[in-house]
Amino acid sequence: MDIRFEQAEARFEGRTVVHPLTLSLSERRIGVIGLNGSGKTTFARMINGLVLPATGQVTVNGFDTVKDGDKVRGQAGFIFQNPQNQIILPILKEDIALGLKSKKLSKAETQAAVEAVLARFGIAHLADRRVHELSGGELQLAALASVLVTRPDILIMDEPTNQLDLRNRDLVERTIHGLDENVVVISHDLGLITDFDRVLCFHEGRLADDGAPAEVIARYRELAA
Amino acid sequence: MKTLYVEGDTFLHRLSPRAKLLGLAALSLVLFLIHSPAVLSVAALLGGIVYSSLRLGWRQSWLRLRPILLTIAIVAIFTLILNGREDALIVVTRLTALALFAATVTATTSTGDFIDEITRLAMPLERLGLVRAADIGLAIGLVIRFVPEILSRYQAIRDAHRARGLKVRPLTVAVPLIILTLKNADEIAAAIDARGIRAQK
Repeated sequence: MDIRFEQAEARFEGRTVVHPLTLSLSERRIGVIGLNGSGKTTFARMINGLVLPATGQVTVNGFDTVKDGDKVRGQAGFIFQNPQNQIILPILKEDIALGLKSKKLSKAETQAAVEAVLARFGIAHLADRRVHELSGGELQLAALASVLVTRPDILIMDEPTNQLDLRNRDLVERTIHGLDENVVVISHDLGLITDFDRVLCFHEGRLADDGAPAEVIARYRELAA
Repeated sequence: MKTLYVEGDTFLHRLSPRAKLLGLAALSLVLFLIHSPAVLSVAALLGGIVYSSLRLGWRQSWLRLRPILLTIAIVAIFTLILNGREDALIVVTRLTALALFAATVTATTSTGDFIDEITRLAMPLERLGLVRAADIGLAIGLVIRFVPEILSRYQAIRDAHRARGLKVRPLTVAVPLIILTLKNADEIAAAIDARGIRAQK
């Protein structure tokens, strides 16, 4: 994984949401924390190219988010805060297959890929289920499957355990810890990221802290107090 | 967030979506060319037989067909008042036949198959440079997926009014509904981009 921010700044309606940021990310598991409105979601969206830098440059594995948006999105999958909005078709297996359309696979190849990713997350039994029937945890796993079926190198997750009950939160946390992909996780659930390789803390649109989880989390607690 | 598709392995399930869609288009044309109440009644009866072959049961069938049948009833009442009994009978039988055959096609074709077929049918328009065929298929898929979602959001806003003892007024429901729907639409558009579903070829 090679994510680079070169003086990249994000603005929204004339307001600076992320101040010019220069940063390089190569660790396999990166946590992003910060108070509400600190700019962490915008930062994550800049990686995937959903938010383009007003000035500066963001590259993902060598691809520029402005010039090579589709290639960047092929490298970096994104899981939204509300997985409900991410699942586009009513039947789970059809929705997962939709993500493979641009790969121009045969019907048999698509079916095999869908079955494999559902089996990987232990949700093969949900293949024919209607999305509205899924629980919060199942929806989050379904969203993971819908993104990882395209085999991105990096997975960005925006508050993946938000609004989940204890059982579903444990299920999703175990799944995240078991992922082989590089992950960038935005979370208010500090327990989720304690054993990550690196943690970034945003405050008022700036990178306020960056380092090992224990120290960054301790300083974040002081900041939030 | 409901789907009208019914899992099954009947002849109609196995029939290609193209055959079903083109067949339905041809049938609707024929139904609008026929003006005999007797023939249209037979068509409605046939539609009923084909629909009942899905074995959904009376209750499930009624729940699915209720909105369209009520709409047909309203149209028929207006036709009866304005044009008389024979025209009303023609309208009822014609639209009922059409609704039953269309509901059968919907119940036996998955959303994914619908999207694939509509995308293929729109390919000539793409070759003329008018549209992106995949966008048309995707738009139809989104409508099927999210219209019931908007309805459930409407119910939530209505409940929120009641919970606070407020009278449910069209304006106070419509404004938050539109704002929430547009906000949701932004998220869905971002998800489509993030998943690379509209990736350039």
